[in-house]
Amino acid sequence: MKLSTRMVVVLTSIGLLSGSFLATVGHLTKERIALNKQREIEEAIIQVVPGTVSSQRLYEERDLSVYGGKNEEGNLVGFAIHASGIGFQDKITLMLGTNTSLERTNRLAILDQKETPGLGAKITDRDSFLKYWENRDCSGTISLRKPAVSAAEKLLPSEINTITGATISSEAVLSIVNSSLEQVREIIKEGKLSSEAQDVN
Amino acid sequence: MELVAIFISAILINNFVLYYFLGICPFLGVSKKIDSAFSMGLAVTFVMTITAVVSWVINHWILIPHELDYLKIVSFILVIASLVQLVEMFIRKISPPLYQALGIYLPLITTNCAIMGLALLAALRDYGFAETVIFGFGSGLGFTLAIIIMAAIREQLDLADVPAPLKGPAIALIVAGIMALAFMGFVGMIK
Amino acid sequence: MSTKAAGQEFIKGLWDENPVFRQLLGLCPTLAVTGAVINGLAMGLATTFVLIFSSLVVSSIKKLIPSQVRIASYIVIIATFVTVADRFLAAFFPPISKSLGPYIPLIVVNCIILGRQEAYSSKNTVGRSLMDALGMSAGFVLALLILSAIREILGAGTFFGYQVMGAWFEPWIIMILPPGAFITLGILLALALQIERRTKSRK
Repeated sequence: MKLSTRMVVVLTSIGLLSGSFLATVGHLTKERIALNKQREIEEAIIQVVPGTVSSQRLYEERDLSVYGGKNEEGNLVGFAIHASGIGFQDKITLMLGTNTSLERTNRLAILDQKETPGLGAKITDRDSFLKYWENRDCSGTISLRKPAVSAAEKLLPSEINTITGATISSEAVLSIVNSSLEQVREIIKEGKLSSEAQDVN
Repeated sequence: MELVAIFISAILINNFVLYYFLGICPFLGVSKKIDSAFSMGLAVTFVMTITAVVSWVINHWILIPHELDYLKIVSFILVIASLVQLVEMFIRKISPPLYQALGIYLPLITTNCAIMGLALLAALRDYGFAETVIFGFGSGLGFTLAIIIMAAIREQLDLADVPAPLKGPAIALIVAGIMALAFMGFVGMIK
Repeated sequence: MSTKAAGQEFIKGLWDENPVFRQLLGLCPTLAVTGAVINGLAMGLATTFVLIFSSLVVSSIKKLIPSQVRIASYIVIIATFVTVADRFLAAFFPPISKSLGPYIPLIVVNCIILGRQEAYSSKNTVGRSLMDALGMSAGFVLALLILSAIREILGAGTFFGYQVMGAWFEPWIIMILPPGAFITLGILLALALQIERRTKSRK
């Protein structure tokens, strides 16, 4: 066999073998990887909208999705807003649960962040940050309490405690929440929230 | 994310070398003289911007529509390897002076993880076309900035009395650490 | 192949030719994923998997590959196994896959792997290549573990996520941030060189 033919034959066969091997691997793992992603979203919805047994996606655009959480009877118990925006270091992705009228928050969960460990990364910590987001008045804009106060009772109903030493990260989360709430209200007003909701996938 | 934010973040905040640790080999290897560091930086910026365009096209026109996600790694690495060869031949034809300046650095770039890292990160973050291009160009500039500062420090370091075991890569890494520390001062500036 | 020679192939990767400390190869993943021991270990094992299987394949088909296209062939073979490792982690260990992000696919440009194919597997028998791959991987895993243990213990006060430092310990956060990676590796390299100089001068 001539050298050039041999080169082509060898490279093609390696390519074909690798391609078919990867197609098999890709096929075998595809469902599981998709399932993992779906489960991550579902678990976050259940966490931020208590009482949810099934959830449906009502709206989707880049950096903003809205899910509806339903209880056993099939009634809507709250919305879960999946949003992301720029943080201190990089993108922050979060999920905020609200009641059905978008006036009270349920809980907040941070799904993805690369803030400074030990400082900004405290936004994922319940005791130093997330607990202040529970049951807040979000009918207007939520604001930060600076400097932070020692007891949650001292906060106004629409106030969140700042993390000491990580004001920018706290502000980043706040602005993602406020702007996504505003967007969602706009979406509802325009009637764009899908009524025939699709299952989460 | 806005384009400006992506651009500034790629140069200063999420610097490829000092934050993602990508392109460490040329960063340590070609940073002894400012001249060569500058040429290396230019070559990397050039190839990164082109790679950003090509990898986006492959990912969004071929891989995603045909659900060939599992071929991403193989196709990216093959495309980058052949792209660098093409760029090298192209520059040699078009501009011999530029080839003189960049020539020896181009083959080094094939195995530079910064290029592959760029293609993968842009795909991972789901950037649109314009964002990918800006991200590629900005990351290249960030690499250039880091390697030039490094070279400037190392030129001075030659005159310093460095303890024997620290000579070479060890002191270079420690200097890089201090640079990374300084660059942390930029964090938060786009917020 | 005698057992002694085989042992030699394995041992050399641990220290004399340790890919990170002696050859300065694969520094990108070494610096990037060693903020936590679990990530370092996962990266080490993924790289081990890719290196062993690439070496096995390359050393068994080395006679079929014309030398002009050998690099391209190696890259395809390596990329194939990297994809397998990437998909496997994403399917069965999603949290690890998420925290390692693009660094698993980046194993494909880890110079240790292509370097061993070019320098060793393309010239040696399957058995010897396997021992070489095992040794190099062990050396790489060792380096990742040392670096990540130092960084996690000092930077977070934990080891494998378990608290090892008492309440009195204030974590040196800088250690798990990028500067900590550079500085720790720099000091370790100097230490490795110093140990080498000592042993040499004794001989």
